[in-house]
Amino acid sequence: MSKLLKLSNVNLNYTIDSKSINILKNISFDVDYKETISVVGESGSGKTSLIMLIGGLEKVSSGNIFFRDSELSKMNEDEISEIRRKNIGIVFQSFYLIPNYTALENVSLSLEINKFDNPTAKAKEILDRFGLSNRFNNFPSQLSGGEQQRVAIARSVAMKPEIILADEPTGNLDSENTHKISNLLFNYIEDENASLIMVTHDNNLANLTKRKITIKDGVISENK
Amino acid sequence: MKINDLSLYSRYAFRDLTRSYSKILSIIITLLISLFILSAILTIEDSLENELNENSKVLLGGDLEIDYNNKEGDRSLINQVKSFSTVSQMVEFSTMISTTKNKNNKTSFTRIKAVDQNYPLYGEVIYEPIGSLENLNKIDNTIIVNENIFKNLELKINDIVKVQNKEFKVIGTVKVLPDIGGAFVFGDFALTGKKTLDNLELNTLGSFLNYEYKIRFDGNENKDNKINKIVNIFKNDSKVKIRYPENSTGGIKRIIDNFSQFLSLVSISAMLIAGIGIANTLLSFINQKNSSIAVQKAIGINSVNIKTIYYLQLFIILFFISLIAYGLSFLLVPIVDKYISDGLGLNIEAFFSLTNLSIVFLVGLLVIIIFSIPTVNSIDQIKASSLFRNVFQSLQFKYSKKSIILSLFLLAILIILFSYRSSLPYYSLIYFASFFVCLAMFFYVSRLIILLLRNNLTNLGISSKIAVKNITQSKSITPITVMSLGLGMTLLLTLAFVGSNFKREIAKSIPDIAPDYFFLGIQNNQKDLFQKVINETDEDAVIEIVPMVSAGIVKINGIDPNTYISNSNDSYWVIMNDRRVSWVDTIPKDNPILEGSWWDTSQPNKLQISLDSKVAKDFGVNIGDKFTLRIYGREIEGEVVNLRLVNYQDLSINFAMLLNPQFAKNIPHEYLSTIKFKKAENFNEVNFLDQFPSVSIIKISDYLSKVTDVLNKVFIAVSIISAVTVIIGLVVISSAIIVQGKIKTFQNLIFKILGFSKKEIIISSIIEFIISFLSIILFSTIFSVIASKFIIENIFQLNWLFEFEIFLYVIIGVGLTTLALIILTNLKYLSPKVYPLVRNE
Repeated sequence: MSKLLKLSNVNLNYTIDSKSINILKNISFDVDYKETISVVGESGSGKTSLIMLIGGLEKVSSGNIFFRDSELSKMNEDEISEIRRKNIGIVFQSFYLIPNYTALENVSLSLEINKFDNPTAKAKEILDRFGLSNRFNNFPSQLSGGEQQRVAIARSVAMKPEIILADEPTGNLDSENTHKISNLLFNYIEDENASLIMVTHDNNLANLTKRKITIKDGVISENK
Repeated sequence: MKINDLSLYSRYAFRDLTRSYSKILSIIITLLISLFILSAILTIEDSLENELNENSKVLLGGDLEIDYNNKEGDRSLINQVKSFSTVSQMVEFSTMISTTKNKNNKTSFTRIKAVDQNYPLYGEVIYEPIGSLENLNKIDNTIIVNENIFKNLELKINDIVKVQNKEFKVIGTVKVLPDIGGAFVFGDFALTGKKTLDNLELNTLGSFLNYEYKIRFDGNENKDNKINKIVNIFKNDSKVKIRYPENSTGGIKRIIDNFSQFLSLVSISAMLIAGIGIANTLLSFINQKNSSIAVQKAIGINSVNIKTIYYLQLFIILFFISLIAYGLSFLLVPIVDKYISDGLGLNIEAFFSLTNLSIVFLVGLLVIIIFSIPTVNSIDQIKASSLFRNVFQSLQFKYSKKSIILSLFLLAILIILFSYRSSLPYYSLIYFASFFVCLAMFFYVSRLIILLLRNNLTNLGISSKIAVKNITQSKSITPITVMSLGLGMTLLLTLAFVGSNFKREIAKSIPDIAPDYFFLGIQNNQKDLFQKVINETDEDAVIEIVPMVSAGIVKINGIDPNTYISNSNDSYWVIMNDRRVSWVDTIPKDNPILEGSWWDTSQPNKLQISLDSKVAKDFGVNIGDKFTLRIYGREIEGEVVNLRLVNYQDLSINFAMLLNPQFAKNIPHEYLSTIKFKKAENFNEVNFLDQFPSVSIIKISDYLSKVTDVLNKVFIAVSIISAVTVIIGLVVISSAIIVQGKIKTFQNLIFKILGFSKKEIIISSIIEFIISFLSIILFSTIFSVIASKFIIENIFQLNWLFEFEIFLYVIIGVGLTTLALIILTNLKYLSPKVYPLVRNE
């Protein structure tokens, strides 16, 4: 198999108050190595759910997801954690930094769980690359929104994952920071030959990717 | 605040509480447990005292008691009393009962009451079969034994037993006697008829004879007049002691007071530990209401009014919990009643006391206010402007000079309230001081842990690093865990060390130095035969045999000691009744002289006294002081010539007073002996009693095992009750973990995203616990060693040893329970559902 990621007839249902809700229906698409994809659609269309499935943070109701040759949909939680740890970086709209860890500690955390040699030095290097060399020892509450998102991105790319999943990475940022963050992200992707799947409402951002997938009512309406 | 406003805020408080009581469930639970214990103590104590007061006549056995000690009494005086009241004569004595079956005969050292037809004047003897009590005075040589003797000697009704060398028929069993008086019935007992007494050879000393006349006032004449008449009749008879119902229950009341004093301290400890949890949970509760409070401020409700709403919520909780806790305590009364009625013949009933309910409520109120002041004051930190920025600051405890002073003032009231009500206020104050010192120490221990760990993260594995970060973060539960568990464990370890040391000291006396048997009532003309019989039984037996008479201290330096030595004096027992005294030629090996010199043999006609040095110190007696002793009705003056160190714990023969043999040898006397056998199996008690029917045999191991048995039960009960403080501590910890819930969930979500496995997160929880627990063990051990050593060496005056096995049991038990609880409570945060969180639900 030459694809990095393959989704085949993936369905996702939730039961809320004993009612079954179809979030995603028969989703199928592939992702190549070094490919950048934006996922667009209206609020509630299922974009974030798709990212969760690809990242192994949710289980499919039916269908298959292959990451390289491994079928994520058949793995247990520990096996998926192992894959996510080394190969998948996730960036959220709300940053999700650990509030009582410094910027340096937040980044080195992902290196330490992978038993990286000298994680602190590597974390410093990454933060420096993202222009945060004077912010190593600051807690998230002491950072601006843009700085927090840079730390979050630094953490997600620390292990050089093959794919980065970004859910509205600039959703909580002003235009200046949006520009900075998007530059940062795409420059990194290019430098490290990583793939990117990015959920966004921002058309300008979406246009920076190679392919655009549109989801409407849980179904892919466009994929080009 | 106006009444209308108060009514409005009460409504808000009630509404808020009914919608969010589940968030403060831990406050409700810990408050309920600790107030329940306090209620139970107060309810049972009151019920017991009520029973004792209402039944004091029953417990005494009459409206009044004339106690002649070991003399029969002046019949002419007794007959005068009989002219206006009903008199029941009773003679108590100790002797041996033995079976007469052909094989495996057994003996029992028994306290026998010889009663007349009027017994009992008050109350009821519970016995069977019907009619056996009446038959005691109709049929000669009959006896009713207690259930224990019946069981141990394997008796049946109509079996023949020997009391001394006389045969008695067992015609019934007795379960409970009403007139237990001021002491527990500790040994075995039996009843026989008064006429039967004449058939027995009772000697004064060995039999511990006691003549008592119980009086019941009949007719309508004023009771006080009759009492005055009796006092007048006996005013010149110095041998008599008159006892009244109100002082018949002193012994039991003292025991009840001491026990409830101890339990009250346990309950207040539980409440104070619960208070730590209350503060924490309340802070979390208010934190969750951050935006609501900001909205309230935005619409114009000021801080004071908002705080009032929260105080009202606490007040409402307390009101209902107090009622429930107090009500539930009534359920314990029937259980305690069953236990007490089996053992003592007392029956207690629960009754409502508004005073007790008020005390329960007041104590709860003081604890809640003390611990909620800094929490509720945190409301001041919330600003309405936060609503516009959608940024809500996490609240912290807020202390001000005023609030600290108020908290300390209320704490002082709580301590005074407890100490004032207790029977040993001094000890209560020491306990409180120790409690708060411990609390402060554990708080600083937790701070020290955080300080030491904060900057030492290098070279740790990832799970250890997370554990350390969790401990050192600003919202860490480490201080609460260390304080609440530390206090609970210190209390439990202290009690465990005290109990085990006490039991060990009692038990060790038996094999090492204590004799196997005491023999009482060996007559002068039996002494040589006695020694011969023992030597024939076991030539290697170690025999100690000393003469003995009964002597009462009438005066010290010409003054009646009862006029200046109070019954709280440690050595009061020496002057309370006549004492056994003896004489020896040489200084006893285990009683070294501390002051003065041994007998001056050049003065054989002068009474010289050797006194226990502790008694001398307690009475303020010195060498050369004069004691007037009454021996066989004669008063003799003697001089204290030396003071000895006496150790009563070695169970060998020890006397508080020894006389010089040159003077004393001609006084009519009996002998007391101790025997330590090499071949104890050769000694047959029944055969011995056939030869020496008037001698009483006390087998030391039997009595010490009874003592140990009672102590075991007491310490088990005490330990279980004290374990409640650990339970409260666990609830506090559990609530602290739940309070951290959102933080934990968020953190674990990120760990999950980053690829942590559940195992790594669980391991970090375990490491976090171990770090805290090891420091708790260290300091709990230090405090409990200090406290238990003080109690054992200074109060019980025994030797203290570190009991490693006990230490291990407690540590492992508490540690495993806490760890299990922490893991269980953390389980629900282990696998947070990503979808709702990412959606900010």
